[in-house]
Formats: sequence, C-alpha cells, structure tokens
Amino acid sequence: MARTLSSPGSGQRDQNRLLLIATRRSFTLIVYALLIALAFSMIFPYLWMLANSFKSRTDFFTNPYSVIPMPPTLSTYYDALTIGRMGVYLGNSILYAAVVLIVQLFIDSLAAYSFARVDFPGRETLFLAVLATLMLPGSVTLIPTFLIAHGLGLTNTFTGVVLPGFAGAFGIFLLRQFFLNIPRELEDAARIDGSGFFGTYWRIMLPLAKPAMVTLGVFIFLNEWSSFVWPLIILSDWKKYPVTVGIALFRDVNQINWPAVFAGSTIVSFPIVILFVLAQEYIIGGISLSGLKG
Amino acid sequence: MTTLAQPSQPVQSRASRQRELWKRVRKTWPGYLFISPAGLLITVFSYIAIIFSLYISFYQYDIISEARPFEGLENYTRALNDKLVRISFRNTFIYVIVIVPSITIISLLLAVLGNQVRRGRALFRTVFFIPTITPIVVTSMLWVWLYEPTGGINKLLELVNIEGPNWLFNPSTALPAIMIMTIWGAVGYYMIIFLAGLAEIPEVFYEAAKVDGAGRWHTFWSITIPLLRNSLIFAFVTLTIAAFQVFTQVFIMTQGGPMNSTQTVQMVVYHYAFQRFQMGYASAISWMLFGVIFFFSALQLKLFISRELY
Repeated sequence: MARTLSSPGSGQRDQNRLLLIATRRSFTLIVYALLIALAFSMIFPYLWMLANSFKSRTDFFTNPYSVIPMPPTLSTYYDALTIGRMGVYLGNSILYAAVVLIVQLFIDSLAAYSFARVDFPGRETLFLAVLATLMLPGSVTLIPTFLIAHGLGLTNTFTGVVLPGFAGAFGIFLLRQFFLNIPRELEDAARIDGSGFFGTYWRIMLPLAKPAMVTLGVFIFLNEWSSFVWPLIILSDWKKYPVTVGIALFRDVNQINWPAVFAGSTIVSFPIVILFVLAQEYIIGGISLSGLKG
Repeated sequence: MTTLAQPSQPVQSRASRQRELWKRVRKTWPGYLFISPAGLLITVFSYIAIIFSLYISFYQYDIISEARPFEGLENYTRALNDKLVRISFRNTFIYVIVIVPSITIISLLLAVLGNQVRRGRALFRTVFFIPTITPIVVTSMLWVWLYEPTGGINKLLELVNIEGPNWLFNPSTALPAIMIMTIWGAVGYYMIIFLAGLAEIPEVFYEAAKVDGAGRWHTFWSITIPLLRNSLIFAFVTLTIAAFQVFTQVFIMTQGGPMNSTQTVQMVVYHYAFQRFQMGYASAISWMLFGVIFFFSALQLKLFISRELY
C-alpha cells in the first residue's frame, strides 16, 4: 500500500483518513469496554465478599447481591472471631509469616552474597545444585518432607510449620543477581579498611540490597500467608492453624453462615490488601523480573 | 608459606595445584560458612527428600507400623491399575490442556490490549492482579458461593436467558467450573509478565513495521510474538508445571467429587498419603506425576528452543 501523505484537496483521501480515524477510535472503545468488563469481573466477587461480610443473615438471604448492607452489622465479625476463632489463626499466621520472612531473608542473603562475592572452590557447582531444586515439583517433596519433619518430632509444632521455609532457592538466585550488579569498588574499600567477609556483607552489601530484599520479602510474606497444603498436613491442633487452614475449617463446619465466613475471608485478605497497596511497585517489579529472566 | 607455585608456570604439578586450592580454601572459608544454613536446609528438604521419596516408593511404607516390606515395582504396577489414579491422570491432563493455553492466550491478549490504552493502564493492571494476591483458599470459597445454583454466575447467565447448571455438584460441569475460576484468577499474573516483555521490545520494530505498511494483525504475529519468546516460554513452562500439581482449588471446592469428576493426581496423592497413610504407594504416584511433568517440560523447552532461529 502506498503511504498516504495527505495532500489537501483530495476528497477521497480525506474520507479514507476519516474512516481510519473512526476505526481506530472504535477499536480503542472496544478495547476499553472489554478491559472494563473484565476489571468488573475481577473486582465484583471481592466487593460482594466485603459487602456480605457486613450483612445480617436475613439481609444476606434476601439480598445476596446488593453491595450495600442494610443495615450493616459487625456481628458477622464477632462470629468469625469467636465461633470461627479467626483471632487465634490470625495471630498464628502473623507469627509464621514474620518468622519465615526474617529468617529466610537472612539465610538467603547470606548465601547469595557468598555465591556472588566469595570466590571459594566449588562455588559454581554448589550454586547450580541450589538452582536445580527450583525444578523439583513440590508434589514430589511433600511426602518425604512430612516424613522428615515427623522423624525430627516436628509434627504439630510451630517449628514444623516454618522450618522448610527457612531457605529458598529462588530468593538466593534473586539476591545473587542483585549482588553481582553492585560495583566491586564499594566493598573493596571496606575490605581495605579491615572488614571481614561478614562485615562487608552486613555493613555494605545488605544496605545496598534493600530494594531486592524488600521485593523478596514481600514475596516470602505473600507465600507464607497463602500457604495451605503444608500447614494442613503438618498440623493437627486447631490452636496452631494459620488463617488459610482455619477459614477452610470454619466454612466446613459453618456452611450456612456465609456472612460470617465472608467476614473471616475478609480478615484473611486484609493484611494482603494493605501489603499490596504499600508495595505494589515491588510486587509488580519482581514478577516482571522473573518473566524476563525465564 | 606455600607461595612457591608460580601462576605463570605452564604445567603445575598436582601437589602445587592442591596447595593452591588449599590456599584458596583457607582464604575463602567463610564462604562455605555463609552458604551452610541454606545448604543444609536445601540438602535435607530437597535432595534427601527426593531420594527418600524414591526409596519409599519401592516399599510398603506407613508411619504407624514398623514393618516396611520391600515391594519392588509393586506400587507402580498397582497405580497403573488403580481406577482412581487413572481417573485423576485423565482429569489432570484435561485440566492442563485447557488452562495452560487459555491462560497464556488470554493474558497475552490482555497485555497487548492493555498496552494500547493510555489512560488507566496502571489501574487495570492493579485490578487484574487482585485475584492473584488473594489467597487461593479465599478465592475458592468465594467461587463456591458464586457457583451455587442460584449464585452469581447463574444470575449472570439468567440475564442472557441461559439456565445455569448446579456447577459444582454436576459431574460434567464441576471440572470446567474449577478451570474457569483458575483461568480467571491467573490471567492478571501472566498479564504482568507479558507487559514486562512488551516493554522490552524496542519501539523501532513497530515503527519499521508501520513504514512497511504492516497491519495490526501482521505486526502482532511477526514482531510481538517472536520478540516475546522468553516471556512466552516462561509462562508456558511454569504454568504447565503448576497446573499438573493443582490441589487447593479442588480441595476447597469439590474434594474431588462429584463422582471423582474433579479428582486430580495431587488430590489422590494426598488421599493415599495423608488419609490412608500409604506413604510408599502415594510416593510412587507422585513420581509418576513427576515423570509426566518432566517429560512435558523437556518437550516444551525442546520445541521452543528448536525454533530459536526463526
């Protein structure tokens, strides 16, 4: 096709251009309509969850799809916290997530620093051995991990829940990439000043790696907060359940009390929403990175 | 001190090479110390675990009784003839074959379309991401409610005069229902992967295509798709691996029912391992699943990489 350099006076061409603009506009409109419709489909279920969590049972049964509770009630949250024991689960989940977050960040970053900067013999082979575990499907390691934890006497204990999450191959990989990109001169200066390996890691590298640490930290937290299968298997006492297992149990025994279940679900989701609002750029940046690396 | 070995010396004796190595180890030993916590955990929970899993797959192994007789391939042959295992593999295959391409195509389209609009792109990205960060347990429970006979989904279908089924209690609609929810929940994540990939494509390619008079469609196929190769491989491979191991949605929404129509391999592994305590047998099934996952991942990588030059 010849390119249309519009010359004034050619009516046919002007009409073509108008048509082109019109199709482009309508295309944009269709795109917007589609995206907005999809966006609604993504928001609405959660909006319903939130709205229904404030509805009395009669209000829920008569108007399950209204987004405004009439009148709003907090008794659902009371039910979720008392009958549903969501308060206990919430405390457990916060503890699990916090412990795994802190310990894994430390262990991963220490290993990552070593793999990036300490030139010990066998480094490449050992790093490959760490990376290779990323290929292992969790489905194969689930049973032996349980049996090992059982053998160590960790079934139904807090330690049993958190221990397998204390190191992550993905975290080591991510942080190593980051450390490799930090200019060597910065730590050379520290080495000359007499810092050992650990001093360099702790005083120079860790502060510099803050963005990567935050990104990884957010992922560790999200993962631990949502984790379901492992705590389900390793725990047998409800007093130790995290929110995910707890809410599932609550629904199982409370199928008719949807509003209270929704109140519980809202409690489970709330910390995630806060984290997402605060750290959205880190989350999206981290996910984008993983795709580009692949 | 052991500084006799000269680096310039072309052929080093074995002894001096060993001395060199020892010198390096002495200088860098904290390196080993730093990787040891991670190394220990990964050794125990990945390497020892996987060897242990393979080992017990040849035994009759439960945590209660002390007797653990060797069974050879018995667990594997039993699995091949186990109706439940067969059904679960069939369902899992259907699940993978449907959701992997669906999620890839839909999220790719969303990314390409989202990239075209100027206003509100960040907002769309945020909204599409909500299902991804919400714990899958919560989303699954929410959809149990939406899938009720008079639930939100059927109310929507009513608007276009379709009488919706009792989604999760009908053997022919339960698995599709789970698949629809999973697709809906995952597209936002992969959209972000693809948006990042799109941002990496230099604008000049599109300008060149415009100069050549290439249409939207042609540009999409000959520029966008080939240059998104890395993101596409990542999406396809990670999705396949994850989809083969689907568990939580099924566990919450249907428990494998009705009439085993939503039994997946991981559900069956869970059933044998943690409800009937047949750890050896369950391990054998999980190894069969591992084999399938490995085969398909290798196949995909091979297919993608052989087209590298294109």
